[in-house]
Amino acid sequence: MNKTNIKNNKRYLPEGKYVMMGNVAMAEGALAAGLGFFGGYPITPSTEVIEHLSKRLLEVGGSCMQMEDELASINSVIGASLVGAKAMTATSGPGLSLMVETISMAANLEIPFVLCDVQRIGPGSHGPVTAPHHNDLGLIRFAGHGEFQVIALAPMNCQELFDLTIEAFNLAETYRCPVFILSDAYLGHLHEPIYIPPKEEIITRVINRELPQDYTKKFSYKDDSTGEYIIPKPPIIGTDYFPLMTLHLPHNYEGLPGVNALQFMEMLIEKIKTNIDKISITDEYKLDDVDIVIIAYGLPVRACYHAVDIARKEGIKVGIFRLVTVWPFPDEKVKKVVKNARAIIVPELNYTGFIAEQVERVTKLETPIVKIPKVGELHHPDDILKVIREVSK
Amino acid sequence: MSGMGPMYPKEKPDHPYVQYSTGGYLFGNYNSLFCAGCGYGIIGHIFTRVFEDEKIEPKLFPLIIGIGCYTQLVTLVHHTSQKFFALHGRAPAVATGMKMANPKLKPIIFSGDGDCFGIGGNHFIHICRRNLDCVIFIFNNSIYGMTGGQAAPTTLYGAESTTTPYKMFENRIDGVKLALAAGATYIARTTVAHPRTLMKYFRKALKHKGTSVIEVITPCVTYFGSKNLDRLGVEYLDIIGEKMDNTGRMLDWIKRISVRINQAKFMTEEELFNNYIIGEFRYEPDKPEYSEEYAKIQKIAMEEK
Repeated sequence: MNKTNIKNNKRYLPEGKYVMMGNVAMAEGALAAGLGFFGGYPITPSTEVIEHLSKRLLEVGGSCMQMEDELASINSVIGASLVGAKAMTATSGPGLSLMVETISMAANLEIPFVLCDVQRIGPGSHGPVTAPHHNDLGLIRFAGHGEFQVIALAPMNCQELFDLTIEAFNLAETYRCPVFILSDAYLGHLHEPIYIPPKEEIITRVINRELPQDYTKKFSYKDDSTGEYIIPKPPIIGTDYFPLMTLHLPHNYEGLPGVNALQFMEMLIEKIKTNIDKISITDEYKLDDVDIVIIAYGLPVRACYHAVDIARKEGIKVGIFRLVTVWPFPDEKVKKVVKNARAIIVPELNYTGFIAEQVERVTKLETPIVKIPKVGELHHPDDILKVIREVSK
Repeated sequence: MSGMGPMYPKEKPDHPYVQYSTGGYLFGNYNSLFCAGCGYGIIGHIFTRVFEDEKIEPKLFPLIIGIGCYTQLVTLVHHTSQKFFALHGRAPAVATGMKMANPKLKPIIFSGDGDCFGIGGNHFIHICRRNLDCVIFIFNNSIYGMTGGQAAPTTLYGAESTTTPYKMFENRIDGVKLALAAGATYIARTTVAHPRTLMKYFRKALKHKGTSVIEVITPCVTYFGSKNLDRLGVEYLDIIGEKMDNTGRMLDWIKRISVRINQAKFMTEEELFNNYIIGEFRYEPDKPEYSEEYAKIQKIAMEEK
């Protein structure tokens, strides 16, 4: 089992305020969470992550590998996670497209890892690579062949990139599923002041990789008596706590085949969905007695705050429901929020409206939904304000 | 346990090492899932034998298995070894992650010719380039067996397969030359018709610090043998004209097309065409190994203020 110098003091920056680039804040968050291995391949706009960790991760005794391609980087992350290191990679859309096969395998074998997706304009691999586009939400939602549920977090500033990265590692360790951080080209390159809490506080937040008491059960399963899904700790190669086989097929808690495939898929999805109250992070802003609800995530939320403040002064009852956890989609919370709303506004940095689709599904189209799509540029508060005024008429 | 084929035979066999296999020791199932005449049984037995005889600590030697017919070796290898099934071709990348996150380990990789030179060629080149401490077995049967007999990057000139129904006319990859160019520090090739040599090379590779590449030529009777004549490249060599549809004939063929490295020095390229040179090609134990070099850099970084 790898103990990558958790006590090394260089792992934690001294408490205080820093001005940091988004990608660097994300990398520092990963270090604070106990990162032991990073495997990456340079791709704009995520390159600063591997550049920063090439220096910092070595200082704490970890390994930062520049692999030969994205396929290798995600597979090396899987290998490192299997021997007990907290592992992550960072990439952008084209790299993510290459990685999905491995993500699917990792979901089946419940190998925890964190993937930071710094999204850029797609489809294709050329063009304005430093412009944001929240286009990978759909790919991440069903990342790979087979059926499974992932967790995706959408920070909106550099402080959250630091904090949510720690949270992402905790979620990966607890629920043993692929966890994504949905950054984008502007957020990744944004320089902002952030506050790094003292070391002692960070340590209390982090869930470490540990061996369990019970070595018999190595994979998640449904407890038939209670109907709950039990998620054991991740097995580690090099210890006694490793299954006899790691077959990429429906398997039982020992890793052996002979399990009903439908029940296995149900387990992979429901182990997350039944815990949605613990996983899902959302934020509400001026949501009491609203007529119009804005549902947003990531960078566009920042423009929404401004627009809502102005609209409220004009007497329009509008508020924001912010998704910090994008996947799994919090159906019940959204249902509750939009119950009395006359209209829903969904500003997204894409044309499709991945979240708008989910809202449509949840509301069963009973409430009118107005999308504000943008690609490659951010929403100006006026764009949102204009829509709020139109809808409120 | 399902997925392990029929229970055969129920009683313990006389073979001294088969009883240590995963299927036999843990499930009492001593069968193998391979076709009659396949060479993988020999390989599985040799692996188990070395593991048992050398009293290898299995936790330090994780086994990473790629995708191909040899994936079924899992039932034949030693029951204590910790096995991980990698994706098709990605085993070297998984091994890199394991080794770098826990440098005490020495991964052993099972891969095939399609796995290592086809889909995973890039990863193979780069693990050799880094000289990462691991053992890579490449089982070369000159064909894609698991999917039903398609041409591989290593298929011999003139051979017939389901995707080359007329004849194979592409140049083939020489895995040893590739490993030599990429920078692996222990490179050997042998065949399942020379099991003692294979065992010797495996033992040497386990002790070697650096990337060890052992290519093993193995017969595929079902898909390669039944389609091809006793001698390939009929335009260049004498025709014998018998199909290689049984083990004896196929092993005999492998022996005939294997040329020892010392002999090969005195042969022309034309004489060596469609033949395999067997032996040890490189042994450089003093070359710097990647994880050790990395640890030195880590030390510098950790001491820097």
